[in-house]
Amino acid sequence: MSNTFIIIQREFNERVRKKSFIITTLLMPVLMIILMVAPALIMQYSGGEEKRIAVIDESGIVASQLQSNDELIFEPTDLSVDEARKELTDHYAVLCIGSDVVANPSDVKFYVNSSSSISVEEAISNQLEHLIETEKLKQYNIDNLQQILDEVQTSVSMQTFRNDKSQEGETEAQSSIAATAIGYVLGFILYMFLLIYGAMVMQSVIEEKNSRVLEVMVSSVRPFQLMMGKIFGIASVAVVQIVIWGVLIGGVGAAVLPQLMPEQMAAGVEAMQEGAPQAAEVAAASDFDPEMVQAVASITDAGYVTKIFVCLLLFVLGGYLLYSAMFAAVGSAVDSVQDAQQLQTPIMVPIILALLMMLAVIKDPNSQLAFWFSMIPLTSPVVMIARIPYDIPMWEIVLSLVLLYASFIGMVWVAAKIYRVGIFMYGKKPDLKELWKWVRYPF
Amino acid sequence: MSIFADIENPISQETIMDLLTVKNVSKQYVGHKALDDVSLAIPRGSVYGLLGPNGAGKTTLIRIINRITAPDSGQVFFGDRELSPDDVYRIGYLPEERGLYKKMKVGEQAVFFARLKGLSRRDAIAQLKGWFIKFGIQDWWNKKVEELSKGMAQKVQFIVTVLHKPELLIFDEPFSGFDPINANLLKEEILSLRDQGATVIFSTHNMASVEEICDHITLINKSHNILSGNVDEIRRRYGANVFEVAYRGEEEALHKAVGERCEWIDGSQSESVYRTVKLHVRNDADVRAVIAAANEAVELRSFHEIIPSMNDIFIRAVNGKL
Repeated sequence: MSNTFIIIQREFNERVRKKSFIITTLLMPVLMIILMVAPALIMQYSGGEEKRIAVIDESGIVASQLQSNDELIFEPTDLSVDEARKELTDHYAVLCIGSDVVANPSDVKFYVNSSSSISVEEAISNQLEHLIETEKLKQYNIDNLQQILDEVQTSVSMQTFRNDKSQEGETEAQSSIAATAIGYVLGFILYMFLLIYGAMVMQSVIEEKNSRVLEVMVSSVRPFQLMMGKIFGIASVAVVQIVIWGVLIGGVGAAVLPQLMPEQMAAGVEAMQEGAPQAAEVAAASDFDPEMVQAVASITDAGYVTKIFVCLLLFVLGGYLLYSAMFAAVGSAVDSVQDAQQLQTPIMVPIILALLMMLAVIKDPNSQLAFWFSMIPLTSPVVMIARIPYDIPMWEIVLSLVLLYASFIGMVWVAAKIYRVGIFMYGKKPDLKELWKWVRYPF
Repeated sequence: MSIFADIENPISQETIMDLLTVKNVSKQYVGHKALDDVSLAIPRGSVYGLLGPNGAGKTTLIRIINRITAPDSGQVFFGDRELSPDDVYRIGYLPEERGLYKKMKVGEQAVFFARLKGLSRRDAIAQLKGWFIKFGIQDWWNKKVEELSKGMAQKVQFIVTVLHKPELLIFDEPFSGFDPINANLLKEEILSLRDQGATVIFSTHNMASVEEICDHITLINKSHNILSGNVDEIRRRYGANVFEVAYRGEEEALHKAVGERCEWIDGSQSESVYRTVKLHVRNDADVRAVIAAANEAVELRSFHEIIPSMNDIFIRAVNGKL
């Protein structure tokens, strides 16, 4: 059996048997689900306490029409502004509307007892704008104005479809909300994997160097085999972890989601996934926002999820391999993690750049910027994976993967040279210039 | 081996007997020269001592043989051809620093190293069990390495080094950290490995062990090879013509009989009825004549040469007094 394989086996066994691995592998999906669900739950249950707002209406039109809701309660008052500001300290705020507010809409003042909030201000100004608009329309003396206004009121929610030339006639529902959310999550997962697993390789190389295990092995293993064994051993751990997560999240999702989903929504989702022409009507007929139905439809579509999962695996692996080769080279050159700081800079800069680019690209996944940063190997894993939920052309994904894996091979060649020299070099703290010299050593 | 092959071969017929030949090797580190034009030949099936004070360049030489570093100039031959990367598989190396994975269990780790050296898992376990019993460490199989003491860890490492029966064994300070009983055990194992055909290079500054187990030595000092050869020959060569005489009789009489030809080193000591004395026989004097004269004067019990210990030779050589 090849020695590289024996080393891979050891790395894998040692890591997978660790308690910390088992715990993070099992807890991470739970944590991720909590992270996704928690904000929604918090929003739902913390509607905010009720805010009483005293209204001084000098115009005499507005106060009666302001509509209170769960959060905002409008209470008309006859006090003067000064009195109200002094006496009504138990109210959230005092709203003062000028006498000629229709002609002069800026004549509205809002005195807050504690701190104001944008959402409250927006809610009030929206109501006021609507009221004033209606008042202005009334001045034109139109018959049946109220009826006309009710009929005119519209709310648009779009469903996005992508034209798929290969499957003519059929259109596939695609939700940009879901794509954006998934893109973010995937981008961050990749970023974290590169950092955590890359650092793991580096740390493990440093440890091996310091314990001088290498000198024992030098008579049976080439340094190159040792480096590759370590890189691939830890890679296999990463792959196993992702697969476990995929199965856990996918399995739990498949088991739990249909039960949680209200019937009408499920019908809409099903119709959309089947690409039925009446999908939109079914969705619209339900009480749910069609966009929401579409989002659920896309994240529960088996083909879509599988494609994303496969891409995630390929990009995590490729990105990890590329970065871990660099991390291994740095680890071999230093004696302790502290010493590695300076040499790590050329690794950390592209990772962080990739994250920033990902945040920019996700807003416009088909831009030139998005294309180029998802081709450049050092940033491509994080940027490309964030674009994949958007159904980008297959050739782009393939090209990006080819470039990524090709550059891994090139990087290994360089890293192996540094590793070969560094791993037996003790006590000296090299700089980047020194490392470059090692690359050109005639070994 | 055909004769024709040897014509083109850089090594002559007689040195084929040597397993490893180092030729004019130099190695320069930043600031100091670790090895300067060092040559030596290690005979097949011998225990070869690599001696020298700390920092003399022993470890650098070993690292060159192991191909951990490359020499700046000079060559190393393994058998009759230049050392190649694959030759490291024929070497077993026990470094001075203890290199084991701390978190791994002893047995698992030993199997791991054995498999790297080409043994199957089953063979490795079977052979390791045998060695563990021989060294009395069966109970350690499931212990983690970090629980072991230095000496214990080194026993494990020794086993791992020799398990795959390599042709060439290199031990760097193998006895450090061992109590006398275990050091003895190790010594016997090293000798028995030699008897089974292995060649052993063994770096140390423990001179007592050199006399006991080394057949040949090289003494490296300040990056130069200052003394090479068979241990017995060296000791004889640097013997100083000093004899110890045990006798019964008058000191005066002995002195009178041999005094002109000898220098009195130690005064006469009396142990029960015998006295002993150390004599330095002058170089021009005939030892047989001295013995004859002494025999006339006193009742001789013994008359034997004192061969200098390697320790003495080491100190004298390093101090430049040879």
